Amino acid sequence: MTAVDRLLANPPHATDELRILGASGQLGYGIPAEALVRGLKRNPHLIGCDMGSIDPGPYYLGSGKMATSETITLRDLTLVLKAARSQDIPLIIGTAGTAGAKAHLQSTLEMIRAIARSERLDMKLAIIHADIPRDLIKKMLRAGRIHTLGPIPQIDNAAIDRASNIVGQMGQEAFIRALEMKPDVIIAGRACDTAIFSSLPVMLGYPVGPAVHMAKIIECSSICCTPGGRDAILGTLEPGGESFTLESMNPIRAATPLSVAAHSLYEQADPFTVYEPDGALRVDDASYEAVNENITRVRGAIWQPASQITVKIEGAERVGERAILCAGSSDPRVIENLALIEQGVRDNVASILTDFITNYSIKFHVYGTGATQIFSRAKIKKPSEIFFLVECLADDADQAKAVAGVTKQYLLHHGFPGRLSTGGNIAFPFTPPEINAGTAYRFSFYHVMEVDNIAQLFPIEIEHIRGNVQVAAG
Amino acid sequence: MTRSIVRLIDVATVIRSKNAGPLQITLDILFPDTASYEIACASSSLKAPALAERYEVALDTLSVIHYRPARAIKVVIDRALVAGTPGDSDVYGAQQHHPLLDIML
Repeated sequence: MTAVDRLLANPPHATDELRILGASGQLGYGIPAEALVRGLKRNPHLIGCDMGSIDPGPYYLGSGKMATSETITLRDLTLVLKAARSQDIPLIIGTAGTAGAKAHLQSTLEMIRAIARSERLDMKLAIIHADIPRDLIKKMLRAGRIHTLGPIPQIDNAAIDRASNIVGQMGQEAFIRALEMKPDVIIAGRACDTAIFSSLPVMLGYPVGPAVHMAKIIECSSICCTPGGRDAILGTLEPGGESFTLESMNPIRAATPLSVAAHSLYEQADPFTVYEPDGALRVDDASYEAVNENITRVRGAIWQPASQITVKIEGAERVGERAILCAGSSDPRVIENLALIEQGVRDNVASILTDFITNYSIKFHVYGTGATQIFSRAKIKKPSEIFFLVECLADDADQAKAVAGVTKQYLLHHGFPGRLSTGGNIAFPFTPPEINAGTAYRFSFYHVMEVDNIAQLFPIEIEHIRGNVQVAAG
Repeated sequence: MTRSIVRLIDVATVIRSKNAGPLQITLDILFPDTASYEIACASSSLKAPALAERYEVALDTLSVIHYRPARAIKVVIDRALVAGTPGDSDVYGAQQHHPLLDIML
């Protein structure tokens, strides 16, 4: 009997309360263990973890690698797997391995198999894939059924072929289908973070609005509290499912009406609406009341089913190889003449590289002069010390390093009118000051695709892991 | 009633920025009480034209949303470069609140 079998044998109905433990908003960065243990004592019906995000940038989706270290990812996975299996509670992990493409799912599964062996855990695993077939995207593009989500160019067939990975964000449909297969653990590729937590209550018949609203909040663990933090949080749908309560499993973190309401702002362009593949959550009329100083009750969110199911698709493609140069300067004449120096160095580098490396780019990130700013630099005060982070891209790693190296030498010795620092314009913090920084990627897709057959898009496979059966060596 | 001019940084409890997806930056300004929130909502320096000028962006790439349940003013700005594309300067978009810091209400 699996954990989901056991839960569904005697399921909470909408007339009972349903408790979901949000164990982590970012599995792999270190889940606080004490709050997780406290959460387990509240007998949750489900443990959910989000393991990924688009926020860390295109490198992870592009390369198939995880953003988190293997050591801490193993630690966190061990923590939640042992917690769930020891109490036979279903566990759902969404957006496996940072970006949720096939390679991320495979590395996460390898870790889970290794943990199962070392911890002697048995489990029935449902694995949900999120890679979107290129042929389908091309077909939908031809049919005019792919739409941009903001200031990003429309894709074309060449961009579809160039992308190293393309994933779609699955919604609660995929998780409900997986729950119906009655596993112990669900590991999903790219997923809506809400769906990890809303699928069980929706499957059991709880009203969708409050279930999705609760999911949207607990997917970030205790970020919605004051002070915010990464400890596990307990979301409890109350009998009838029209309201839910929130309580951090670290008692120093209070879920207050204001802190919870403010969470609707977090990383959202529209604080009133959460868009999902099969509908939209409207929180305009949500109300927040204090149950006590640590617990807040929320009600009033409305679910609007969509007439057309859509899936957000994300894709990343390789741009080139990157090398960086790290150096600083506190020379006032260097700082005054930055624009002149940069142009002079670019010209010198171009004259050296001509006939050798033609396809390259150089970007001077000059910290102290507004290098952090995407928009206006007008408010940045004049510095007395600056840091050069020079980003060099070329077709291969050796060429990128060559661009960085030539740039280094010409920046060090560039002459300009009024120059005092004839010994060198810059200080290097270490040697070598030019460093290969790996492959550079960019997001080429961040679009929505209309979907006719959502179940086909996110296929599920079942794997039985028997870590408790020790096979004799030999 | 006389209203003294105050600095935003002295009344707001939170002034933050972050990506809202890789195509947009969202700035959240939170206030401690209704009185200061109402002053901020009424201030021309926190309306879209003044903010677009301050950020040096086109007016149609910026929007301002008042979110009363959290006493918050949200500003959303389109990115010229998708987050993390080579040449971007803030992959998470977490340091784009700087131009707000010397606003007077």
